[in-house]
Amino acid sequence: MNGISEFLGINFVVIGPTLALLFTTLVLLFCTITISTPVYVKKYISFVGILITLFTIFLKFGLFARDGITSYFSEKILLDEFSLVGNVLIGLVLLLTFNSFWKTSEVIDNKTTEALILILMSASGFLLMVDAENFIMLFIGLEIGSISLYALAGLNRGDQLSNEASLKYFLLGSLASCILIYGVALLYVSLSISGVYETSIAISFIGPDNVPLTSLIGLIMVLVGLLFKVAAAPFQAWAPDVYQGSPTGYVGYMAAVAKAASFIVLARLSAISLRFILDKFDLFFTAIVILSVLAGALFATNQTDIKRLIAYSGVIQSGFILSGISFGVYGISASIFYLITYIIQLIGVFTVFSIISGQLSSDFKISNLSGLFKENKFLTITFSIFMLGIAGLPLTSGFVSKFILITNLWSYEKYLIVTVLMLTTVAGFYFYLRPIWVAAIEKTDNSIEKIKISISDKVLLGFMAASTIYFGLLPNTLVNITRWMVENYL
Amino acid sequence: MTGIIISLLIVPLFSALLVFMIPNSRKEIFRPIGIIFSLITLTQCFYLLFSDYGKTKFVILSNYKWIQSYGLEISFGISGMSTLLLLLTSLLICVSLLSIGNEHAESKGFIGSLLALHFAINGVFISGDLISLFIFFEALLIPMYFLMGIWGGENRRYATIKFILYTVFGSVFIFIGTVYTAVISYGANGSLAVDFDSLANLALTSSQSKTLFLLFTFGFLIKVPIFPLHTWLPDAHVEAPTAGSILLAGVLLKVGAYGILRVSIPFFTEGFLAYKNFVAVLSVIGIIYGAIVAIAQIDIKKLIAYSSVSHMGYVMLGISAGGYLSIEGAIIQMINHGITAGALFMLVGFLYERRHTRNISSFGGIKITMPRYAAIFLFTSFASIGLPGLNGFVGEFMILMGSFNSYKVLTSIAAFGVVLAAIYMLWAYQRIFTGPISNEKNESLKDLDIRETLSIVPLVLLMLFIGIYPSYIESFVIQEAGFISETIALFKDIK
Repeated sequence: MNGISEFLGINFVVIGPTLALLFTTLVLLFCTITISTPVYVKKYISFVGILITLFTIFLKFGLFARDGITSYFSEKILLDEFSLVGNVLIGLVLLLTFNSFWKTSEVIDNKTTEALILILMSASGFLLMVDAENFIMLFIGLEIGSISLYALAGLNRGDQLSNEASLKYFLLGSLASCILIYGVALLYVSLSISGVYETSIAISFIGPDNVPLTSLIGLIMVLVGLLFKVAAAPFQAWAPDVYQGSPTGYVGYMAAVAKAASFIVLARLSAISLRFILDKFDLFFTAIVILSVLAGALFATNQTDIKRLIAYSGVIQSGFILSGISFGVYGISASIFYLITYIIQLIGVFTVFSIISGQLSSDFKISNLSGLFKENKFLTITFSIFMLGIAGLPLTSGFVSKFILITNLWSYEKYLIVTVLMLTTVAGFYFYLRPIWVAAIEKTDNSIEKIKISISDKVLLGFMAASTIYFGLLPNTLVNITRWMVENYL
Repeated sequence: MTGIIISLLIVPLFSALLVFMIPNSRKEIFRPIGIIFSLITLTQCFYLLFSDYGKTKFVILSNYKWIQSYGLEISFGISGMSTLLLLLTSLLICVSLLSIGNEHAESKGFIGSLLALHFAINGVFISGDLISLFIFFEALLIPMYFLMGIWGGENRRYATIKFILYTVFGSVFIFIGTVYTAVISYGANGSLAVDFDSLANLALTSSQSKTLFLLFTFGFLIKVPIFPLHTWLPDAHVEAPTAGSILLAGVLLKVGAYGILRVSIPFFTEGFLAYKNFVAVLSVIGIIYGAIVAIAQIDIKKLIAYSSVSHMGYVMLGISAGGYLSIEGAIIQMINHGITAGALFMLVGFLYERRHTRNISSFGGIKITMPRYAAIFLFTSFASIGLPGLNGFVGEFMILMGSFNSYKVLTSIAAFGVVLAAIYMLWAYQRIFTGPISNEKNESLKDLDIRETLSIVPLVLLMLFIGIYPSYIESFVIQEAGFISETIALFKDIK
């Protein structure tokens, strides 16, 4: 393999995860249109596909250990710490959400294979996105990933809310993609650059003070395109509707994977491309962060639909993560820690929802949780752990991530942002504790009957809850990993 | 010794998990398990009390690497004041487990939450760095949230949210203070270490010291609570179940004063000197205001809650006077108030279980039907008022005597709090216990049974013991109070 790839001058290991997922989708497609395959075989095919993907990610670590940071395919694909962590993160998301999206696909009539193909396809797109060095490549990855997500949101065709979600996501998402590609074009026009490293080289060549306005606007447009995907305000409008309307079993995957990939790319842009002119974007990032946490907190306070509540909480969390990314390298490592722990909690919350409400439901009121504790102790406890984790209570990973982040922000002397973030945290307790109150404390007559949880769900939920607490008590390993990520960019 | 300290965390946590594991069919053993494990912790505390560390100032005994790349460590240690407060906690947990009615005692959630609360409180008192202090300070909220939320009164939702939001709002300031200290420490030592040893050696500028003092003290004062920030306390007390009230008044309020004595004053002394008059004025307002409002209450629990505001005002007055005697008095008053307020809330709980009301006007003359109860209540009221010979007198007298030199006017005003205390406690006693039985429902009240008597007697004995022989309990805090007051005196000289 190595010999062949060296002979061809390309190394397929670098895009191995993308290829593995694409190959899996092709096999699934083949099985669907030629021979009638039993459903469970498709399950094993896609699961094995995900395992192979994880294995190829493992191979990439070997390649990285041998070659270090390297560009491949004539500077289209980049292998660095960000792409490795991004790959692992997306692999983790696939693994953790597999159970819930499989079950959702099973009950969605006649579209099982379609759903699986869409999911694996979007994962392959986002993997390509975190691997991309070239902005065009980044755009291609983002589009492959996003378009699959648009379709996924509307997969439950009988449901009006699902249709609405899909349409909104599609329209706004394509607008954001337009902005992104327009920004890429502006960058190419003004400095004839189209890559992550090219940008920083060009900027250091002409000097940070002489960067033309066109390219600054171009960079901001690229950032806006990415910020749309993580639902940072003022680009958050799609998130609540999409979370609410999409089939519950898919939302965990949809939210987590887009956030993971976009934040990794944002972190890389901040660490490499913008490193010399990061202070020019101070105002932009500060505005986005403050808007995100304030808008999120304001709207989350009076939501009755819990999926919308989580969506607005996601806006707040995006503000938190972005605040670390936007001011320096140590902040990036803190943000990546935050991102990893938050994604685990997010997936956990949606796994609980999909177990309670059935995989296809679109509406899910907070009152639907009432009396959960009576018969479903395990679900309530794990759900409470996730919510407290997102709220940032000590003894959970949410606290550690907030602590590290705020420490870094303080050392960058961002007092205004620290103040706003901390106030939001206090306000957050108001709406994060409410679902716990409804589920565990409030006395009610019509409590939810005992729900049977499959062993795999139990293991997954247990794992996610345990890691939420584990990283809250012993965060050392994960912090070291995130520090290792940024060591080369100091 | 390290093992003992860590086991102060592990034993309550283990017992809480154990209670959660036991199936609901064996509900009669929840209470014994809780009592046995809190007795184990109590024994450990006694062992600590009589060890070498029972009388010292704070000593860090064990360190654990937490986040290596940031140089953060979790440290645990012990001191005389901590040991006394740990002892008080275990004792109150133990007696409140014994005192609660069967409805609560047969619920594993209730017992488990109490034991989890025990774990968190122990954590606060043994933590040797700002981070673990903050972690346990916040972790207190989770069991309190469930205790108040599930087993609270009618209006519990409002009270619980208010309690949580007030505390979280305060702890945000502590959090920011911790972060700020860590960043300063990074500039000085190259690591974010915030354990108490490295804080003691940290050189702070005047403005840094002032800012940090304000940040930390504001967070802790909400928990104390001091006058304008006290409004969560009456609501929380009224809605909390009896055991929750006992621990809230007995220990949780002390956490705030403990934090000020442990963190704000020794490390940010310059800030303390700048703002101590302000704190003293607020505490005297709290003493008088709490007492006057207590007179007007018709709910017994609310009355005791406002009396807590008044009594904790004495503690804060003693602390802000900053002399050796006044700080010693403040520490002793913390212990004393823990005992008396805990006992009063327990007694009110007994009455509530029988009549399901706490309205003073629905009682009257019940000393005829409950003579033993009336006697104990009167005794505890005297202790709370500060009758010489009982424990309440010791602390308040030391505080007033110690602060008189620094604040002559304020201390004179504060002394009226004692008179007011006599008014509200004795008047309440009069309305509840004396005279003819006004309500026929009170004619069939049962007196305290053996379990209830057993649970209140240890507290009564302690009130008497501390009142008669105060120098014994004083011997445990001499060094610590001396250390704190010397730190203050040293800074005064430098200025």
